Amino acid sequence: MKISLIMKGITASVFGAALLLTGTTANAAWNCKEVTFIVPYSPGGGSDQMARRLQPGLEEALGVSVNIVYKTGGGGAVGFSELHRSKPDGCTISNVVVPNVIISSQGEGVGYKPDDFAYIGMTESSAGALMVPQDSPYQTIEAFIAGAKEKPGMLTVAGTGGSGADRWAQLAEVLGIEATYVPVSGGVGKMMPMLAGSHVDAAATGANHATKHKAIVNAILLAGPNEVSTLPGVPTEPDWNYVVTWGIMAPPGTPADYVEALNAALNTAASAPEVRDALLKGGYVPHIQTVAEVNAFMADEIAKLAD
Amino acid sequence: MIEAFFMAISPSYLFYMTIGVLLGLVVGTLPGLTATMGTALLVPFTFGLPTGEGIAMLGGLYVCAMFSDAIPACLVNTPGTPAAMATGFDGHPMVKQGRGQEAIVAACFGSALGTIFGAICYLLLAWPMIAIALKFGPPQFFWLGIFALTIIGSLAGDSILKGLAGAAIGIMISCIGISHAAEVNRYTLNIPELRGGVSLVAALIGVFAVPQVLNMILNIKKEEFVAEYKSEPGVILSTIKKVMSTPIHNLRSAVIGAFIGILPGAGSPIAAIVSYNEALRWSKDKSQYGKGDIRGVTASEIANNAAAPAAMIPLVTLGVPGSAPAAVIAGALMLRGLNPGPELFATDGSLVYSFGWSLLIAGIVVFFIGMFATPLLTRIIKIPLRVLAPLIMFLAIIGAYAIRNNIFDVYLMLLIGVFVFLVRRIGFHPGPIGLGFILGPIIEPNLVQALYISHAVGVQKVFFSGSVNLILIALSILSVSAVAISKFRSKNNTN
Repeated sequence: MKISLIMKGITASVFGAALLLTGTTANAAWNCKEVTFIVPYSPGGGSDQMARRLQPGLEEALGVSVNIVYKTGGGGAVGFSELHRSKPDGCTISNVVVPNVIISSQGEGVGYKPDDFAYIGMTESSAGALMVPQDSPYQTIEAFIAGAKEKPGMLTVAGTGGSGADRWAQLAEVLGIEATYVPVSGGVGKMMPMLAGSHVDAAATGANHATKHKAIVNAILLAGPNEVSTLPGVPTEPDWNYVVTWGIMAPPGTPADYVEALNAALNTAASAPEVRDALLKGGYVPHIQTVAEVNAFMADEIAKLAD
Repeated sequence: MIEAFFMAISPSYLFYMTIGVLLGLVVGTLPGLTATMGTALLVPFTFGLPTGEGIAMLGGLYVCAMFSDAIPACLVNTPGTPAAMATGFDGHPMVKQGRGQEAIVAACFGSALGTIFGAICYLLLAWPMIAIALKFGPPQFFWLGIFALTIIGSLAGDSILKGLAGAAIGIMISCIGISHAAEVNRYTLNIPELRGGVSLVAALIGVFAVPQVLNMILNIKKEEFVAEYKSEPGVILSTIKKVMSTPIHNLRSAVIGAFIGILPGAGSPIAAIVSYNEALRWSKDKSQYGKGDIRGVTASEIANNAAAPAAMIPLVTLGVPGSAPAAVIAGALMLRGLNPGPELFATDGSLVYSFGWSLLIAGIVVFFIGMFATPLLTRIIKIPLRVLAPLIMFLAIIGAYAIRNNIFDVYLMLLIGVFVFLVRRIGFHPGPIGLGFILGPIIEPNLVQALYISHAVGVQKVFFSGSVNLILIALSILSVSAVAISKFRSKNNTN
């Protein structure tokens, strides 16, 4: 009894001293001993690379260590729902991939809605690309369309989980072809050997992957109006709305102050010259956003996919 | 390549690689700390080093963890990482017979052989091997998983039915969570924590460690120690001689390990299981397997170590890591602005080759450090049960928690552990349940993907044509019928 009282006294005075030391600057401001960064896709994939690119900059800007943990599965849904359940104390963040986070939330009982989360900022985007193995008979989009029309439904196209299904459905409609969609689990790391070994005829995923794996796959079509500098001469399809945007988000209900603090740290990390260089070389478009901008962007994307 | 060799034997490479090996000894020995986690924790510390030294250190940790996970598997029947599950099948009975040092020395020497073989494949055969690996797509991985499952026939003990039921339970538990192919919840009982699935590492700790501890507690009045500790002076040399007396067995284990290691998504645990199964199939005297046959230990350890350097082959040839620790090493390279893959071979060939040499030398270092540490490590069994049981329980809880920093995993581990403890009493073997956990994530997603592909080209073409499919199907049938025949014979003999 006495001992516990003494302990309480000691604890209280230590705590008081700590408060005095940190002073008034630390009132309600962001204050974490470490940051947990949830990566909802396999190690080595796009989200993992992003997290690891930003990790040193974030650690420097926040002054604490940033620990990367992988929570993979369900086309990102596992990691997103893990973040959704985490404490909104500003100490847990995760990658967000748009539109995956919106599409995956429409799954049965996933337990989160895209407008629940507190978005910190988007850092990069990459257009979608249709790619084929290097020894594929379909080395141009024309050849692929002709092949698909000759054998309706008999060509196979790999994509990531359920979100990939919708993207492929859209392109198939634009091109007026039919092919069989194959969902690949665990992200693009598993998809590339499947494609390189011709187990599927094509894959629809980001131009960043087509850039990274140039040595084993050829991109034959890019989504959207713009060419990608790392994939010169690949035709574009303006009616294929497939842009993947990467950023960082925090659990629902994270206080605005913490979101601002994390946004500032993220923007410092993302503007480092080596980060921008890596993005441009990798076939991405770099972005820097304020909290207002990321919220507007997300509202727009959610509205687009609502119908 | 010669220049790369001299890089790898430079003092700084050797120094950092040896530190990696020493860390790997700790990481592998503690259940719950896997090679993936160890390498991921080490990555930030390699940033201050030149690239070559940095990845040599990570590689050293990886290959040593593939040896040291055998230590708890043998001594207390709890694999240090999933890759050592098959090592314990014979390693633990050896310890029980007072052959603890022999088991550890065999595991260590086998690991060294496996690592060296895998590294030679990486240095000399990367391109031809990857060409074969690319023949593996979803249907082939599905059949590989089915083939690996046939080991149940030899594991199940008295009842094949109980073995099959155990594996089915393991596979079903591995299916819990959001499905890989589409965003659908399976068996989650509306418990949000279950959406992320059951952690393989936590589940394996539950299957092996918890029943072990409960048995120790039940037997505490009868037995004071796990096993008798004997120290024989010539044990190192005599064990090495014993291992070297089975060259064909060793080579087969190494080839299986290197080949399965190269398949992206398969990895060391499956390599060890398939190798153990093949060792059993090809051996003339099968009577001692599962009861303390040294070949059971070397089959598993040679294979899971050969798989480690081999898992780097898809990384440097395709840019795709062959295992989770290889993915972490890929991340470490990418952070330095290097793109692991065929270009790296062209632009930084000396880096790619010096890494291979470092892995090879790491195999030798693992051997010497293992030999030095064996007498110390084997003494774990001199700890009385009343101290050892709580110690294992403590490590099991820490390990289950550490893998995802999630207390829910600890509850699941305990629940699975108590379940396995109870079903063991009615004749279930924990091996098939653990096997189900490991193979479920290979069999299920690949079956689903192969079925999607079969919508386009037909079930017959996807599942039943192509040389790899046919070979794997034939091997599976052979494996099952061999067990059936031997059961039939033993039944007739007793009549």
